[in-house]
Amino acid sequence: MNAIPMRSLVRTLLCSVALGAFPLAQSDQKLIIEAGRIMTQAGPDIENGRILIEGGRITAIGTQAEVEKPWDALVLGGPKLVAFPGFVEAHTSQGMDRPNENIDVAPFLDIRDSIDPVAYFFEDCLRYGVTTINVQQGGNCVVGGRGMIVRPVGMTVEEMTVRPLFGMKLSTRPKSGKSRATQMQALRFAFDDLRTYLEDLVEKEKDEQGYAKREALFQGRDLEAEKAEGRALANATWKLEGLELIPRGALDERYAPLVELLEGRYTAFIHCNDPLDVDHALELARKHGLLAKTVLVLEDDCWKAAELIAEAGVPAVLEGSLTHVERDPITGVEKETFVPGVLHAKGVRFALSSEDPNTRAPAYQAALAVGGGLDRQTALDAVTKVPAEILGLGNEVGSLEKGKLANVLLFSGDPLSITAWVEHVVIEGKPVYERAKDLRNKHLLEGVQPPNTAPPSKADEEKEFEQGEHSDADKKDAEKDDKGNEKKDDAKDEKKEGGGR
Amino acid sequence: MLAGLFLSLPTAADHLGPVPSPLLAGEQAVAIRAERVILRPGEELENGTILIERGRIVAIGKDLAVPEGARVIEGAVACAGFIDPWSSLGLDPSSAADSNSTPGTRSIDALDPWHRVHERQEALRGGVTAARIQLGRTSPFAGIGALVQTDEGSKPVVVLEDACMAGSVGITRSGRSPDVFDRVSEVDRLIGALEKGKRYREAQIDFRKELEKWLKAITEKTTELEKDFKKAKKDREKEEKDAKEKAKEFKEKKYKEDKKPRRTRPDPDDEAMARAVEGELPLVVEVHRASEIRRLLEKTEPFERLRLVIAGGTEALSFAKELVVRKIPVIVYPTPLGVGRADEYEAHDPALAGELARAGVRVLIGSGGGANARELRFLAALAVGHGLDHDQALAAITTAPAQVFDASARIGALAPGCSGDVLVFDGDPLDTRSGLRFVVAHGLVVVQ
Repeated sequence: MNAIPMRSLVRTLLCSVALGAFPLAQSDQKLIIEAGRIMTQAGPDIENGRILIEGGRITAIGTQAEVEKPWDALVLGGPKLVAFPGFVEAHTSQGMDRPNENIDVAPFLDIRDSIDPVAYFFEDCLRYGVTTINVQQGGNCVVGGRGMIVRPVGMTVEEMTVRPLFGMKLSTRPKSGKSRATQMQALRFAFDDLRTYLEDLVEKEKDEQGYAKREALFQGRDLEAEKAEGRALANATWKLEGLELIPRGALDERYAPLVELLEGRYTAFIHCNDPLDVDHALELARKHGLLAKTVLVLEDDCWKAAELIAEAGVPAVLEGSLTHVERDPITGVEKETFVPGVLHAKGVRFALSSEDPNTRAPAYQAALAVGGGLDRQTALDAVTKVPAEILGLGNEVGSLEKGKLANVLLFSGDPLSITAWVEHVVIEGKPVYERAKDLRNKHLLEGVQPPNTAPPSKADEEKEFEQGEHSDADKKDAEKDDKGNEKKDDAKDEKKEGGGR
Repeated sequence: MLAGLFLSLPTAADHLGPVPSPLLAGEQAVAIRAERVILRPGEELENGTILIERGRIVAIGKDLAVPEGARVIEGAVACAGFIDPWSSLGLDPSSAADSNSTPGTRSIDALDPWHRVHERQEALRGGVTAARIQLGRTSPFAGIGALVQTDEGSKPVVVLEDACMAGSVGITRSGRSPDVFDRVSEVDRLIGALEKGKRYREAQIDFRKELEKWLKAITEKTTELEKDFKKAKKDREKEEKDAKEKAKEFKEKKYKEDKKPRRTRPDPDDEAMARAVEGELPLVVEVHRASEIRRLLEKTEPFERLRLVIAGGTEALSFAKELVVRKIPVIVYPTPLGVGRADEYEAHDPALAGELARAGVRVLIGSGGGANARELRFLAALAVGHGLDHDQALAAITTAPAQVFDASARIGALAPGCSGDVLVFDGDPLDTRSGLRFVVAHGLVVVQ
């Protein structure tokens, strides 16, 4: 009984203070990663390099001559492997129970309640080397809930959490059933409604103070003296102009997150489907002073507004296809535009995203970008450095440097090569994925049947039938086994976890 | 009331007032010489020169000195750019066809300068330099329309963000033709919304009055209380002492004052309707059949300041007298029989404009709410062919729309101070044989 309020108290404490990264539980085990080449993404590559990891962070990085190997360290890697920083996903709406609720304005929602730790998506993230993921609500909303940054390891949301309550989703793209005009109407109403609510609240507070003053005058009490006595406990108030009178706890839960957004506590991720949406999004951000903490989530058509984005200086996440195809309405001629190329030329800082329907692998996205004509470093930055900065984790992830989190990938070749595999994934010093032990991969490529996933034999079925006679509960379990799916998942995850350690 | 608060949260009123955007400046001065300059329908100047600088007409006259570096255009006839009073040119198609819009939905939000540029280019080639654009063609409450200058670029030139309120009664919605009960109830719904808007505005005014009264009373009371404070304090101390001596509980005196009046919750839909009721915005209603027009005219009579505009008006001729008396203009979409919007009630009679005009009704000619504004000139010519007076036809696509939508100081005529929207023809503008040689839109030569 006592545990519940305690836990919620801890959570409130954790949530109410803007925190840095939540670390993964650590042991004292030191780890050495050796690679034929280390692509640090923070300077020149290191040939025959070695990385020393202690307490989840990189404590030394250099050539094998420079970095000493402690006697008690685990060693991972080999001379043919290439070490690379873990990819960072600046924005995704996957890995959730469902991406959107059917509510227009829902800033009170928290992604934490929707994240599914055993979603295939997170397993795929490991396979493709994505080690930091910003999960936000989908674009089918007006004002969505708050998202969070996770790592793709752990069986509970707590274990996965890197930063809770990070970012808020807004959309200028019409929600289903809305047109552009009604979408903007709804967005405007969300903020106008908030304004009305706050104005009324402040006015009520002022009226009460005025009443108290007059009451005291009438009753012959000295209000100032009474106040001076009782001033010990000052409430924390809102950092928004005009809201100084209102204590933080006094706001309705439906409105408080929006006020926090206006205070600058959340990064606004604004979903845009076409250039007009970009225009609207920037207008919205400017109007409410959010421009410094705005990230645009773009579909491919938005390249037309590249100049506007560059002028506003906001970063972008490319969610759509990298090539935009448009048909001329009169001639019918198709025109292709390489989106990252345009954005780069106009000076927009952008991250590539694996939300693209063609692939989930950031390495593949980056390779496509290079194929389209983007220079190699910009393409690699777009899946490491830029998304890390967008998430405010520029000092923690995105490159291999001393002091940063030890999110390291070991590729079997150049990361942008189509034939290179992610062989190992290390997240915060813990080896969490090894391709040699990736059963699902093996099943797909080599036809190896993972254990407990084969259809049950006749003998098994008879046995289960006999067991099922005993009780209803047993029967249910037996049915579950029959489907095989749940069982397969569990087995898979156990294997994966075990293999890592 | 809360002035200076929430600077980061702009007020609802910010986007309610008309915000004239600065006209786009054409860098080069343009001088247009024409044998016949139609200043406005019926008012002409022979061998005149029009001088345009920085997007605006600065002078019109005979023998004007042309400034150095100005581009000189010469032609037979010059007149003001056409205004399409019934269009969705440049609007995002899903919004233009939206059936869920409410009175507070704003067309300007759906103005998409990035797509369908060819439609705007064609409109410019047809001489349409401005249009009232309206979303929600199939919605009973189409929301607030805007008056926008036609532009090929990515920055729209807005004349009026809020040009009108619009709605429709008894039209075909999503393929379903309304029956007679639907039609009657749609009129009543519109009137209901107007009444609600009226009450909303009245409540606002009452609130302001009451608040003022309350504030005055409270200020007086406070002064009085402050004056009496010393006495009140003495009395209290005495009472407290007395209570202590008699071992009784001390009770504070009960303070009473009038309750502060509370404002009605701001509602964008009611606000928009209130603006229509108060005549701040004209109310454009698309209506075709006699039964609905009759009911609409009857029911809107009590709203004295309402500026009703009828769009369509297929059977409006029967009500010509009332339309004249109440100064209700009609936006006509004259099409040859069988052409145009097949889903609409009957065809739009090409003779309607002429008949209405002869009966004294002010007639505007529009392209029917679609994006094909380019044919506007030919619609006017068609109406002339079916009996509309030439000057009235020209007025129906220039001065009349500008006046009805409160923009006559800026567009619709050739006068100093107006936007530099000039068309140069090699014949009469409404003669289908004459070619449109030049189109100057806000001081830029866009078609030649």
